[in-house]
Amino acid sequence: MSGGPSITLKSQPIDGNNTGNAAAQQQQQANANGAATAGASGAPGSSVQAQTPGNAGAVGGGSVPAEGTRQNSLQRIQQRKQKVFNLPVPQKLAKLSMYSACQSEGCRCTGWKTPQENRHRDVESSYCPEFNEECRNASCRHSLRMHIAHLDNISSSSMDELLGAIIDMENLFMSMQRVEDEDTKKVYLYLFRLLRQCVLTRQQAVIRGPLGDPPFESPCITKAVLSLVFYKYNHLNPTELQTMTEVAKTFLNFLNHYNFESPSTRRGDLTHEDASNYKINYTRWLVFCHVPAFCNSLRQFETSLVFGRTLLRTVFQYMSQQLKKKCISERDRFPEDKRSIITQMPKFLEALRAELLKDDSPIWDPNYRPPNSFVIQQRKRHQEVAPAAPGASVASIGGAKRASVGEPLHKRIKKEPTDRCSSESLDDLPPDVVMRAMKSVSESKTTNKAEILFPVNVSRDENVKAEEQKRAIEFHVVGNSLTKPVDKQTVLWLLGLQLVFAYQLPEMPREYISQLVFDTKHKTLALIKENQPIGGICFRPFPTQGFTEIVFCAVTMSEQVKGYGTHLMNHLKDYSIMRGIKHLLTFADCDAIGYFKKQGFSKDIKLARPVYAGYIKEYDSATLMHCELHPSIVNTQFIAVIRNQSEILKELIAQRHNEVQKVRPGLTCFKEGLPSIPVESIPGLREIGWKPQMRPARSARPLEESSDPEKLATSFASVLQSVRQHTTAWPFLRPVTAAEVPDYYDHIKYPMDLKTMGERLKKGYYQTRRLFMADMARIFSNCRFYNSPDTEYYRCANSLERYFQTKMRELGLWDK
Amino acid sequence: MPLTAESAAQQIQDRLKDIQQHIHIVDEERRRAENSISSLVRSLHATNQKVKPLLKASLMEASQEEATIRAALAKIHEIRSIRNERRIQARNAGNKEAIRRGALMKMVQLSAQTLPLFVGKLGERAPALCGAIPAEGNYVAKVGDNVAALAKGIDEEENWILAEVVQFLHRQNKYDVIDIDEEQKDRHVLSKRKVIPLPLMRANPETDGHALFPKDTVVMALYPQTTCFYKAIVHRLPQTATEDYEVLFEDSSYLNGYAEPLPVAQRYVIAYRPTKKGAGSGSGNLSSA
Repeated sequence: MSGGPSITLKSQPIDGNNTGNAAAQQQQQANANGAATAGASGAPGSSVQAQTPGNAGAVGGGSVPAEGTRQNSLQRIQQRKQKVFNLPVPQKLAKLSMYSACQSEGCRCTGWKTPQENRHRDVESSYCPEFNEECRNASCRHSLRMHIAHLDNISSSSMDELLGAIIDMENLFMSMQRVEDEDTKKVYLYLFRLLRQCVLTRQQAVIRGPLGDPPFESPCITKAVLSLVFYKYNHLNPTELQTMTEVAKTFLNFLNHYNFESPSTRRGDLTHEDASNYKINYTRWLVFCHVPAFCNSLRQFETSLVFGRTLLRTVFQYMSQQLKKKCISERDRFPEDKRSIITQMPKFLEALRAELLKDDSPIWDPNYRPPNSFVIQQRKRHQEVAPAAPGASVASIGGAKRASVGEPLHKRIKKEPTDRCSSESLDDLPPDVVMRAMKSVSESKTTNKAEILFPVNVSRDENVKAEEQKRAIEFHVVGNSLTKPVDKQTVLWLLGLQLVFAYQLPEMPREYISQLVFDTKHKTLALIKENQPIGGICFRPFPTQGFTEIVFCAVTMSEQVKGYGTHLMNHLKDYSIMRGIKHLLTFADCDAIGYFKKQGFSKDIKLARPVYAGYIKEYDSATLMHCELHPSIVNTQFIAVIRNQSEILKELIAQRHNEVQKVRPGLTCFKEGLPSIPVESIPGLREIGWKPQMRPARSARPLEESSDPEKLATSFASVLQSVRQHTTAWPFLRPVTAAEVPDYYDHIKYPMDLKTMGERLKKGYYQTRRLFMADMARIFSNCRFYNSPDTEYYRCANSLERYFQTKMRELGLWDK
Repeated sequence: MPLTAESAAQQIQDRLKDIQQHIHIVDEERRRAENSISSLVRSLHATNQKVKPLLKASLMEASQEEATIRAALAKIHEIRSIRNERRIQARNAGNKEAIRRGALMKMVQLSAQTLPLFVGKLGERAPALCGAIPAEGNYVAKVGDNVAALAKGIDEEENWILAEVVQFLHRQNKYDVIDIDEEQKDRHVLSKRKVIPLPLMRANPETDGHALFPKDTVVMALYPQTTCFYKAIVHRLPQTATEDYEVLFEDSSYLNGYAEPLPVAQRYVIAYRPTKKGAGSGSGNLSSA
């Protein structure tokens, strides 16, 4: 996320405001106290006390940091490193020796120690001890050469790397001394030790431990914020959309340079749980994002790429206040053409805040993706902007920033995008491949010969959507009101709808239809053609219960079988989703069941009875049907999207087929008597990209074997309870007895039933999810083995199995 | 000779090329005719010129243009028959195309809209099976033609349905027809009087008004979006060649016994033929469709 103008706050960074010798000297104390490197017995190398004139000027020693301190610090650190990198080799080695273990056998000294009289001198400037000078560590006494013996063949670049790490380490140590917050101090100390260890062992610093590895949450803030731009502002014209994109980038940039408040200062305004979460995230931020910005021997991650909703939620309020303030104060320093970013910022922050608080916000859904075309556009724009960026950044605030960040940091950042791309391509195709496929799909459509013979069988709703586009038909939600005046048009339409329902549903008493259509709690989605209602769905939303009841649904006789019914229902679904309703319920009479099934309704009610009982009108001789709505599906587009996807997929398969087409001699091993061979040994399979099926990564699942067994047991208990209470559970409640079914045990060797499962659960047998699922699966497979498909038992097994899977899925216990 | 999908497509492709050529020729001829007409008009004003040869030339050109247009139309007709032939063969071969109801209804509508228009020569009267003109008594519908057939459905109830002729059984004087709607019981063998051939051409109201049913005639008309014919009254005649009739279907659920006017294409409006029970009983029993 570069490219947006940057607004950053002052920071209190690890500022390099210290001389190396000071750090080293302090560090010796620490080591002497046994605080540092594990296993270090004596005090390691020492260095010079007195400040050399060259360094003296740089010492600011924790004075109040001014605006731009971050940049200054980075610059200072960089300068110091450069200075050390330019030292003559013997001096470098001397410096290294102070942090390198003595190579003599059996010696446990971890760094060459300067003679007492030279401790005030700095190896980075004038002091260069002889290689045969002996170490003043009481338990060592070996020469300096012994401390650097292992560095004989080291390349100059890896030597500089080591020196860089040493400087980072010294800086960390100084910062540790200055910082007041205890938690932060601990983190600095941890990182200091880590670096110390790395220098000793000459390994790359890798942070391991209970913090976990980045990214910590999916989707990351960057992705979600981009989704937000699409979700909220896609309808705007390109210029406005461009502005909003830049607003988003500015926000992300601000976030990436934001200094989070320490957990101790936030303790007051967060709940206990939030506070402990925040503490974890704060530590992660320090370790992976903040400190590495200054210590480039650690790998740096962008805050916005590794954190997600949880962190943003906790810091958002304070952070957005700061950003708003900043926007006001920076206003005049912004170039004219970028001012709109400042003015749009509050609006953007408000939208983001709303999406942060909403539990079902689509932008935080890991599966949400703006359409590829949008992403591609954004990328194109990004590319167009990129070449101009250096010039632009000079014009924006703090023009010289980029240059001062320092080379190594840039290198690291550059690595990031490639990493991301490769992980992206795992779950999706690169957009250009999709674009190419789409192009050839549309080309093959125009040259399709079959069309000459017979017209294409277009999808059910395509004609309807074309009519809607031409405004030949319109969809309106209308309803009566007692408190507000109802306009004439609405009343006329309601009358028309009442007639449509009356003619199409002759069984319904007319009075009843009038009563409901004109009831103020009911609304009707009307299909209007030539200003006449020709169909509609009369429904009653129950916002408190989260469902909508469909009361009447009809299309006038002469307009049927045109796809209007499907489109009406899709509109109602989208309308409901927009109002936060996720369930549609209806009592369907026998003629209507087919229609509702086509619209995704099922007789299998997934909604708990108390949610709707007493609210919905119950009809005799009608079947209750239920449809659950997915908040991120736009139903009116659904058929077209699926069609396109399948066409693209077919095209891609065809392309791939052309690429890999090859005739092979065929397998002979079976003739030779082999009963079976592993799939992967079939020639060619691997070449075309077949991979052995792998279980999804364990960590991806919320509840796992490794998780709390008690928690798991509670989940199993609730699933088992629901399964037992299901209407189709009756055949499986108890073990089958040989008295009832004499030949049962001739056929079934491993009987299982819900009662036995309950007992096993109590005994703590179900230590893993697999064991639990295996027993349940056994119940159903036994049943289907013993009974024929046309029996009630068989049907019960199928239905209960589906229900079981639903329940498990709800608790995140089912594999995707 | 079996007509494969490929050869049918090829034949159609050839016809389309011919049509394209014809269209170019028509374009040239029209331009030439326009020229001669304007010179004719000029010469009429000039009075001293001889008009007769010019007039003759223009007439010649006009009839040539007419011939070319008719030739192009004939090609279109050929394409229709090739497609029809291919469809029949595919059906006989047993591959029934699975076609959705919505698409079926669309096809029913489309085939009415693209029914050839009768454009007569001077003084020529509309032939049988053009618009409302009935077929002659001994006429036998061809294989693949659409007819209205009084057939028993699954529920043993007789209805005038939209069907297609599979063959005519001369010995028995009976038609073998297939229901257009695949979801129904598909084959029926019906006596000739239970089968009414549908018009093969549209009549142009502007030139052949006599070939249309007058207002208030009792007819049988295909109820929109269904494949059944019901008793109806002509409410409004088509005013142009592309317009539909507007008819009032009998419907007991309406107070006056007739539904609101609905549009029905010329192809699906035929003379009323009383049956024992009357043709259909309105749309009330169709509400589950």
